[in-house]
Amino acid sequence: MVEKFFQDHERKMPRDSLITSENDSEQDAGLSLQEEHESKTHRTKRRDGDRQKKKRRNERRKGGTRAGEGEEDLQAVSEKRERSKRKRAKSKQETSRRENNEEEEAQLTGGKGTKARKDIRNEKTRRMEKEEVREVEENVDKGKKKQGSTKKGEKKEDGGKQLVKGKAREVKKKKHKKAETSSEPETSEEDDDEEEDNDKDVVRLECLSPEELEKLKEAVDERKKLIQSLRGKPWAMKKKLVTLRESQEFVEKYEGALGKGKGRKLYAYKVLMTKKWMKFQRDFENFKTACIPWEMKIKEIESHFGSSVASYFLFLRWMYGINMILFGLTFGLVMVPEALMGRPYGSMPRKTVPRAEEASAMDFAVLWDFGGYAQYSVLFYGYYNNQRTVGWLKFRMPLSYFLVGVGTVAYSYMVVIRTMARNANESGVGDDNSFNFSWKMFTSWDYLIGNAETADNKFASITTSFKEAILEEQESHKDDNIHLTRFLRVLANFLVLCCLAGSGYLIYFVVRRSQKFALDGLENHTWWERNEVNMVMSLLGMFCPMLFDVISTLENYHPRVALQWQLGRIFALFLGNLYTFIIALMDEINLKRKEEKIVKFNITTWEASLYNGTVSENSTASPVTIHPADVPRGPCWETMVGQEFVRLIISDTMTTYITLLIGDFLRAVLVRFLNYCWCWDLEAGFPSYSEFDVSGNVLGLIFNQGMIWMGSFYAPCLPALNVIRLHVSMYLQCWAVMCCNVPQERVFKASGSNNFYMAMLLVILFLSTLPAIYTIVSIPPSFDCGPFRLAIYYLQSTSKSYREANVELKKKLQMQNEENKRKNKRAALKAQMDLEEARMTAQEQQRNNNASVQDQENDTDIHGSGQRPYQEKYGCNPPPPVGGRGRQMPSSRDPGSRTYNRGNHGPSGYLPGFARQSEPRMYRVPSLQRH
Amino acid sequence: MVSPAIALAFLPLLLTLIIRYRYFFVLFYRAVLIRMWKDCVTGLSREERAFQYVLTHATPGDPDSILDTFDVWCSKVEFISNIGPKKGKILDRLLMEHSPLTVLELGAHCGYSTVRIARSLPLGARLYSIEMDQRNAAIAEKVIRLAGFDDDTVELIVNPSDEVIPQLRSDYNLERLDFVFMDHWKKCYLPDLQMLEGSGLLGKGSIILADNVLFPGAPKFLRYIRKSGLYEWRIHRATLEYSKGIRDGMAELVYQGIK
Repeated sequence: MVEKFFQDHERKMPRDSLITSENDSEQDAGLSLQEEHESKTHRTKRRDGDRQKKKRRNERRKGGTRAGEGEEDLQAVSEKRERSKRKRAKSKQETSRRENNEEEEAQLTGGKGTKARKDIRNEKTRRMEKEEVREVEENVDKGKKKQGSTKKGEKKEDGGKQLVKGKAREVKKKKHKKAETSSEPETSEEDDDEEEDNDKDVVRLECLSPEELEKLKEAVDERKKLIQSLRGKPWAMKKKLVTLRESQEFVEKYEGALGKGKGRKLYAYKVLMTKKWMKFQRDFENFKTACIPWEMKIKEIESHFGSSVASYFLFLRWMYGINMILFGLTFGLVMVPEALMGRPYGSMPRKTVPRAEEASAMDFAVLWDFGGYAQYSVLFYGYYNNQRTVGWLKFRMPLSYFLVGVGTVAYSYMVVIRTMARNANESGVGDDNSFNFSWKMFTSWDYLIGNAETADNKFASITTSFKEAILEEQESHKDDNIHLTRFLRVLANFLVLCCLAGSGYLIYFVVRRSQKFALDGLENHTWWERNEVNMVMSLLGMFCPMLFDVISTLENYHPRVALQWQLGRIFALFLGNLYTFIIALMDEINLKRKEEKIVKFNITTWEASLYNGTVSENSTASPVTIHPADVPRGPCWETMVGQEFVRLIISDTMTTYITLLIGDFLRAVLVRFLNYCWCWDLEAGFPSYSEFDVSGNVLGLIFNQGMIWMGSFYAPCLPALNVIRLHVSMYLQCWAVMCCNVPQERVFKASGSNNFYMAMLLVILFLSTLPAIYTIVSIPPSFDCGPFRLAIYYLQSTSKSYREANVELKKKLQMQNEENKRKNKRAALKAQMDLEEARMTAQEQQRNNNASVQDQENDTDIHGSGQRPYQEKYGCNPPPPVGGRGRQMPSSRDPGSRTYNRGNHGPSGYLPGFARQSEPRMYRVPSLQRH
Repeated sequence: MVSPAIALAFLPLLLTLIIRYRYFFVLFYRAVLIRMWKDCVTGLSREERAFQYVLTHATPGDPDSILDTFDVWCSKVEFISNIGPKKGKILDRLLMEHSPLTVLELGAHCGYSTVRIARSLPLGARLYSIEMDQRNAAIAEKVIRLAGFDDDTVELIVNPSDEVIPQLRSDYNLERLDFVFMDHWKKCYLPDLQMLEGSGLLGKGSIILADNVLFPGAPKFLRYIRKSGLYEWRIHRATLEYSKGIRDGMAELVYQGIK
């Protein structure tokens, strides 16, 4: 066996040595177990032997522990090693392939051994040459043994080789021993063979000669090839795995040592760095995954419940992202600027809780209904006022409010459509009907399942689906069953329609009733009656899908198709509910607008009374201060709409969570713990654990989003609320799914459903922007609340009429001026003609007159030139603000100053537009008074 | 006061529950209400009524006819939780495949499953049937004899199973049980199985078939066999006897012994 080993070795060696031996020293070549060198001369051999011996002795001396060891012992040891190695080799020789590997390995270890020995020897010789004098005695002492050893080497080639090899091994062992501080007893050597080999490999990696490197490289390449081609090998899987592992270990161990000479370290460094880099990349990937919010949770759910349930959570996360952006827009551009820079709370009636509500404004019940302080805060439309700019930044609040309202909707459209387009590219699945069995055969397994129970379910479902498919195939040839199925499907749809109609009627009925209650006054009714609409809508939205689900078992569709039908039906239900709600809201808006008219009328009378009262009390112009809480105000239907939406969202969220806690958690707890003392198996039988309801949850999410889109114009807080809701429901539902739900009976892949969700989202987006746009465009805004209040329109119209009046006034002034001139001219001519001698005095008088006109009328002598500044003054005059009426009033009654002004005007003659002209003057008067 | 509209909104939920669990309501009606009513009216026990029906309608000495008559009575007239025709087929198949020589039946009830097992046994095989209730055992005895099986084939032991099993080896000279069929109290499945393991009557390859492991269900039993590793096991999914919509299963265990 040993011979065979070495022959193999030698047969392979020459090629390498021929290539590389020139680079090596002679001694190296002589000892590297090659036939040519072996057959050269005995002299060399002997010299080598000498050296060998010297070195060995040196080694021994250095080591100091085995000085007394004999040659024979060593050889015996080496032979033992060989034997053990052979044994090992034999044990591994199961297949020819493996044998090959083993041989290579042996070859390699041998090569390494030689290499190491050489290295050591070189070092030794160098040192020996220095210390030759001292070493002479010992050389002589060992002479005999040396001769014996060389003779043995000459006797037979193989034997000699074996000896040399043995020596090499011995040296190797020595070195190893040295490294291990030589505390090991000799007897344990054989046992430790294996470990020693490994150790040696590691130790000697740094000191390989090029030829061995070449071999090593070859071996590594071969291993690599083996690893690559392993898949195609016709072996047993077990063997493949073993070979793969071994090869990978080998490659990993030696790859780093490749490369030549100087480059070796660099190469090793490079390999090291590549590995580090790979590891870093892997870690970074993990890190990135960890950074994606809830990624691990969703993956875990996916592994337990299949991808259809996971698709809901992915959708939820996506929604969360969208809502974060909407929230950022409304919060950053509307709410925060208003809260920081807008007029503070209590500065004006719209920002103050009215006196009547003040007592209960901080009650929890009121706040929960978003009344009281919540109603008069940045959360709602009514709080914003129509200042053109806000704060020192000159932030244009109304513009920003409008743009954000438009921007959220535009952004949503963009995102939804873009996602749809992207998904459409991805899903290129063929139809489900052709190649039914092939699809089932090759694609039915969900590889993401990581849970034994789910896998069981999946297995069962695949089996049943096969059975069903076979049955279906058989039955497709018969006609009667088709008719039955069709009948059942039609029946199911009929039932669903009935159910939809029933629920629609119920909501309509409830809404009508609530209007009646509203007319009666809500205080007279109980909480149940007041919240009837929301309650009924939530309950119907919760229970009707269950009924649909039960009905859909009639139809016997594939679960994926069934899911889509279910989604469609719930969609119809929710849509009906939503639009009923909107119609109810419209009615309420109309009511509010009627109320508003009355209030507006009342306000004018109230102001008039206020004015009269102040006039009667004191005739001086003291501004009347009224606390903004006492000022009467309109109903502000926009805030009402916003409140309704917020309430709806809140009640919807509450319903969802309560359903989750009662329907899932409580049920699971009961089933789990009552099962110990119940007469049947609750877990497998009647109540069981609930399944995760994908369709209901998805649609709940979609309609919730629809309401956000609809209401966020009137209640900027809605995206914020929705973000909170989504965040909480993400955690809550993840927990509930993992804790209380069981995998669906028929686990199925949700391959194409994502775009279905998106399509529904798009429809809802469209349907929810419709009423929002309709209300914005068609219904005039409230006159006293919000950034777009009706006052703007009033002011615009009044300023228009002012401008018209102005123009008229200008014309009249012009005419008057011309008249004046003509008069003046006539008077001058008369004076010229009548009184020649009095001309000088008359001219003086006229000049004086002109100068006075110039003072008062801004140079009316020159045609039209004096009118522009006047007009500009008109335009600049701010229209009287609503709140500032009290201040205006005194200015209108200031007869003294006005008469004084007019007195100067006296000679200029009659002014036809006097009544109108007096108005601009009244602004001037206070300024004069101030001087 | 809750308004009627809100109450009306609960109607879909009610409908859903009724439709979804209709089989359970039907079962409750047939197995409990009708039984109480008939008990009051006739003064006989349910098993006695079944036996009267079988006696008048079946062919004596023909096991198939007796089984069919039982099935008809159980599905059309009243409800008795026999193994039923569908799950019975699984039982038949297992018996045919393994042709066991020593069979133990726990819970004979009124003899339906005993006849079913005895029918498919090979020649020279022996069936020990254990029934706790005296009256049921009397009826079972009559049914078995009516089907034409004698004492050599079927031995009816009237005692609770937990008393009989430890005595089987000494009293009946049993060495090994090839097949065990469990259909008695679901709570006793696990203790009886452990008792069988302890008695050493189970050998490698012994088959244990347990009925109704999903409904009414024996969760502890299932949990135990999952954990214990002494068995190769599988669950045959089926529906509850004489009822379409209630899922049930039979657990088939093959004893592997301690490896």
